[in-house]
Amino acid sequence: MEIDPLPNGTGATAATTTETTITTTAPTAASNTAPSSKLSQLTDSLKLEHQFLRVPFEHFKKTIRANHRSVEKEVSAVISSVADVADSNELSKDDAVLSLTSLVSRLQGLKRKLEEGNRTENLHAQRCCTRLDHLESVDAENLSEWNNIRVKRILVDYMLRMSYYDTAVKLAQSSNIGELVDIEVFQEAKKVIDALRNQDVGPALAWCADNKSRLKKSKSKFEFQLRLQEFIELVRAENYMRAILYARRYLAPWGATHLKELQQVMTTLAFRSNTECAKYKVLFDPKQWDFLVGQFKQEFYRLYGMTVEPLLNIYLQAGLSALKTPYCYEDDCTKEDPLSQENFRKLAMPLPYSKQHHSKLVCYITKELMDTENPPQVLPNGYVYSTKALKEMAEKNNGKITCPRTGLVCNYSELVKAYIS
Amino acid sequence: MELNFLKDSFERVAKKRKVSYSKTQEVTDLIVQEIEKAIKMVQSSTLEYKSELAELKKKLQEVAPLSQLEGTQKELNIALSKYPKAIEKVLNPDISKAYQNVEFDSRIVNQIIASHFYRQGLFEVGDCFIAEARDVEAAATMKSLFQELYQILEAMKSWDLEPALKWAAANSNTLKENGSDLQLRLHHLQFLKILQKGSRDEALKYARTNFVSFAGNHLTEIQKLMGCLLYSDRLHDSPYAYLLSPTNWDTVTEELTRQFCNLLGQSYESPLSVTIAAGIQALPPLLKFMTVMSGKKQEWQSMKQLPVPVELGKEFQFHSIFVCPVSKEQSTEDNPPMLMPCGHVLCKQSINKMSKNSSKSFKCPYCPTDINSTQCRELIF
Repeated sequence: MEIDPLPNGTGATAATTTETTITTTAPTAASNTAPSSKLSQLTDSLKLEHQFLRVPFEHFKKTIRANHRSVEKEVSAVISSVADVADSNELSKDDAVLSLTSLVSRLQGLKRKLEEGNRTENLHAQRCCTRLDHLESVDAENLSEWNNIRVKRILVDYMLRMSYYDTAVKLAQSSNIGELVDIEVFQEAKKVIDALRNQDVGPALAWCADNKSRLKKSKSKFEFQLRLQEFIELVRAENYMRAILYARRYLAPWGATHLKELQQVMTTLAFRSNTECAKYKVLFDPKQWDFLVGQFKQEFYRLYGMTVEPLLNIYLQAGLSALKTPYCYEDDCTKEDPLSQENFRKLAMPLPYSKQHHSKLVCYITKELMDTENPPQVLPNGYVYSTKALKEMAEKNNGKITCPRTGLVCNYSELVKAYIS
Repeated sequence: MELNFLKDSFERVAKKRKVSYSKTQEVTDLIVQEIEKAIKMVQSSTLEYKSELAELKKKLQEVAPLSQLEGTQKELNIALSKYPKAIEKVLNPDISKAYQNVEFDSRIVNQIIASHFYRQGLFEVGDCFIAEARDVEAAATMKSLFQELYQILEAMKSWDLEPALKWAAANSNTLKENGSDLQLRLHHLQFLKILQKGSRDEALKYARTNFVSFAGNHLTEIQKLMGCLLYSDRLHDSPYAYLLSPTNWDTVTEELTRQFCNLLGQSYESPLSVTIAAGIQALPPLLKFMTVMSGKKQEWQSMKQLPVPVELGKEFQFHSIFVCPVSKEQSTEDNPPMLMPCGHVLCKQSINKMSKNSSKSFKCPYCPTDINSTQCRELIF
């Protein structure tokens, strides 16, 4: 890869040969530094991709487990049916043959299901491999394209978590990255979330049943929260008898661990839904349903090994803080700095500034970094520019330098080198 | 990175799964066989079919299909539980450890994303997003701004320079003011294109109409181009063959994009991409710090500065930052960098301290020069 000019260069310095269009953006990581540090930076950045590998694997594992459970169920059902036939005294010979034949066709059905399950499992396994290959595929040549895809992956993750499913699908399709994002996994979440938004706990409860053992392991009380909400809805509808029956059946088992909440919610029987008592009024608030959606998302993310926050927020927060300097908020902040933009400034407002241990000087004229190879030089008026810029200016103007910020004119020989450590 | 370790680990999962699948098939087949055999026996037997059934029941109990499945399933489960542990070992298990609960206004984030889609030329995705997210219509202004650019770029991809030339002509003065020779470079490509088609006369005519106004500053370049006329039928074997390299198109495309964004008052890179890229570089050191500091999590909101220095690449350096090598503090308006006569630079406060408020001279911390604080002068980067 050729050396990229700094994004701020306005003209003739452009000497790149790689990028063709603006679609390949994300700055190629430290293109001027030694390849070794570039590689270690790359390795570090790959370590951030836990979710990328974990989610398809959890999906794969889930499918395997579900398939296996259904096989076990079928096989044991067949065996016990055989036992029934054998132990039955009334069965005629023909009936026995008939029952056995039906068991055989049941097993044939199981075999078909097995094959189908095998196909889906294979697809999942392939996806896991594709992800590993994708991580492996990055190198210096395709880095900018790879980074570009990473930005898209991060955006699809954001869309899915914020329930912008159409955009997620469209972005994935138009960029052909379907295998690298988890749209399928989120379809499962969408069903539950849509139902909760319609005040229906059915799919959420089914989801809890599906993932019972893992939810139990993490001591989740999501199911309890769903049950509480159902109870509240019964009270709201003034269906008190049913509410009590419901509580006996579904809430009582949680008494051992969540007695306080249980008691609180039972009290609503006395207060009714139009209560003004703050403690109980909140339980009837329709916002409780949004709370349940939020709770579900947390459980869902945890189950699949996803980060609790959208990836985008995590990267943006770290990035904004690392870019934030007091100079970003000055009027003459270069537009190449994201923090020159109002929206980015607003987001960065509550975040801490970056911490600097070393001086880094950027030439006002060329926008290039001034270092030992291109050291800073001081004009008689104290303004500092890079040697490269000043030399070029002197060559064009018979050794004369004009300070672009003050208009001061001086000779190249009047300049003094500054040593910055 | 130990990606191979992960690959091996996953390979094991895939293998065990296959074994488990074939075992399940095998067991099912076995049961089918046994039952079918029993059916035949029952059908052929005259009276004693009951004993055949008892036999089948016994046989199936002996086969114990479920416990047969158990073995392979167990091995599969071991592999299944090992892989996520391997991922956690090789990769960072939770990058949100470096995330502090500073809530973002999702409306602003959505606006940033919508603008990003448009400026990347993803117009359909952008439209879809605006329809779905609502409340971000403001970003649609970016669409009209960038549509023209992508039309020009599309045309250039199919070697059509007309839209680009038209745009450059319309903005000719501004381009010149910015010191860009983009217009000439576009003419240059067009000229070679005509020449390669074999029409020397036409090329000459094109040169006469379009190159003259650039003759003042770009004479040598134009001379080279005119030299090409001599080799019009065998440009590839001429000393000017390098002018035909497709990379010339790439550099011109890039320069055009840069100038186009510049004229719009927009940055060349998408600010969202830049920030994410900065975040990707910043997270590893932040995560490392969080691991060391585990348990003592401070709130970012109460912090003025990140707890650790984060070194970003050159491409993220937008401002001059001076850190005084003595006090390790960043310079400010009240505490500006000062150049000492020896050429080394310190902050004003450090110089004041070392000179006891200009009451005496002191030694430069970097060289043996004696410094008198009155000889120091303020620097502006």
